[in-house]
Amino acid sequence: MAKPVENSTASAQAKTVIEGRDVGKTFGGGAVIALEGANFTVAEGSFVSLVGPSGCGKSTLLRLIAGLIDRTSGSLTVHGRDITGPHTDVGMMFQRATLLEWRTAIENVLLPIEIQRSVTSADKARAAELLAMVGLKDFAFSFPSQLSGGMQQRVALARLLQTGADILLMDEPFGALDEFTRERLNLELMRIVSEVGATTLFVTHNILEAIFLADEVMVMTPRPGRLARMVHVPFARPRTPELTLTPEFNALVAEVRDILGTH
Amino acid sequence: MTDNVKATSQPKTGQMVIHFTIFLALILSWELGAQMGWLDKLFFPAPSAILTSFWRIYVSQGNIWFHLYISLGLVFAGFTAGSILGVGLGAVVGMNATVRRFLQPYVIVLEATPRIAVAPLLIAALGFGATSKIAIIMLVCFFAPFINTLSGVINVDRDRFELMRSLGASKIQVLRKLVLPEAVPVIMAGERLALTSALSGVLVAEFIQRDQGIGTLILTYTRNLNMASAFACIFTLTLIGFLIFKGMERLDHRIAYWKNEAGLRRVGAKRARAWAAEQGGLARA
Repeated sequence: MAKPVENSTASAQAKTVIEGRDVGKTFGGGAVIALEGANFTVAEGSFVSLVGPSGCGKSTLLRLIAGLIDRTSGSLTVHGRDITGPHTDVGMMFQRATLLEWRTAIENVLLPIEIQRSVTSADKARAAELLAMVGLKDFAFSFPSQLSGGMQQRVALARLLQTGADILLMDEPFGALDEFTRERLNLELMRIVSEVGATTLFVTHNILEAIFLADEVMVMTPRPGRLARMVHVPFARPRTPELTLTPEFNALVAEVRDILGTH
Repeated sequence: MTDNVKATSQPKTGQMVIHFTIFLALILSWELGAQMGWLDKLFFPAPSAILTSFWRIYVSQGNIWFHLYISLGLVFAGFTAGSILGVGLGAVVGMNATVRRFLQPYVIVLEATPRIAVAPLLIAALGFGATSKIAIIMLVCFFAPFINTLSGVINVDRDRFELMRSLGASKIQVLRKLVLPEAVPVIMAGERLALTSALSGVLVAEFIQRDQGIGTLILTYTRNLNMASAFACIFTLTLIGFLIFKGMERLDHRIAYWKNEAGLRRVGAKRARAWAAEQGGLARA
């Protein structure tokens, strides 16, 4: 059975945007339990990290929320609406930038709009604005193959923001990048999501990264995938990399490590 | 940087001289061998005789033009029809897993069968004339685009596919905005193969039917033991084959522009200009 999940006092006051009750997912007709009995709420505008080793169901949970796969049991709502398939309340970002290589950066950013309706002049202005926000003002007409891995993920982030979705689902978005690029992008990501006021779910297997970025950390354990605990991160924003050197921060790291280690 | 690339990819002048010398030596010894009777003149006519034939069939008699026109017309018709059919069916079959499963055995069987073997049957069914010739060319042109489109569609990038789904794209949108563009380079490779096959296809069709066209012309010349003229026809086909190859290469560079550096720069600049003209530049952003 799933362990009870702590609800933080800070997020309890804010509006709930995602709510899961006993969410479960099995593959192969029940042969593989990817996720079992997950209970959680995500508050509006909060940054939630999902951390845990491979096979703990964090990517599965993200895909369930996106409606890309169907849950096997429990209830799962976004903005109080039941999830039955892919929906536009959420935007996704993957470990690979998944840009269309025949489109320039700005045309990639406009893709979500093109799929919904015809592109207006205002959409184009917004796309240019978003590229500037992720620091790629001068690369609007570069093709993905002309950009570095970090820059490609910046384009993917701009595209994610262009969807206008207020919930951002990020599946190890910077996992394939080098340490330095990743740290820089994490800092920018925090700035950008607070700027646009989005609710963010961020999958990672890096405990430090998970805590540094988040208001809440969903600690998940494998075989079967379970949501073990929800850990509240109390540090004020904006945060700087020096935070990771403080004893308070390291106490939290130890706490998460402990939860992961005892399972 | 551009100059560097050019400098390394262009052969050096010294090498060109060597190439030319070898070529000239080859032609001259061939000429000499033919003149001195070391080579059987019947099967290896002297280069000078071939050159004379070129003059005759292209200028003084000028009879090759008609046959070229006929053959290339057939190639164009058969290639266009065959490759459109191949790409279209490849896309439909690739997008639909059920259709694919039940069609696959037949595709494998048909692919293993030499297409040319079916040519006499096609003539029997469609009769002599342009229709059966075009059908033969269609048949040899169909498979490469079909198989390549199919594999391009099946091997679409999983993550990109998932992205399109998460953006709420319809099946048609996924096909138009992701699957087909992503398959373009591999489809173009199939088209290149198809066009080369089309040239062989038209020759086979004309060898069988023996009425008109460059294939028939070659057949007539060899039967009359006019090998010099037959060689002139064959070298004409060599040139056409080479032009097709180069032409398709250029077309490929243009259509799959994101696969080459020059294409990226050209299209990127073009789109930036179009954007600037429409949006008044990015200055406001």
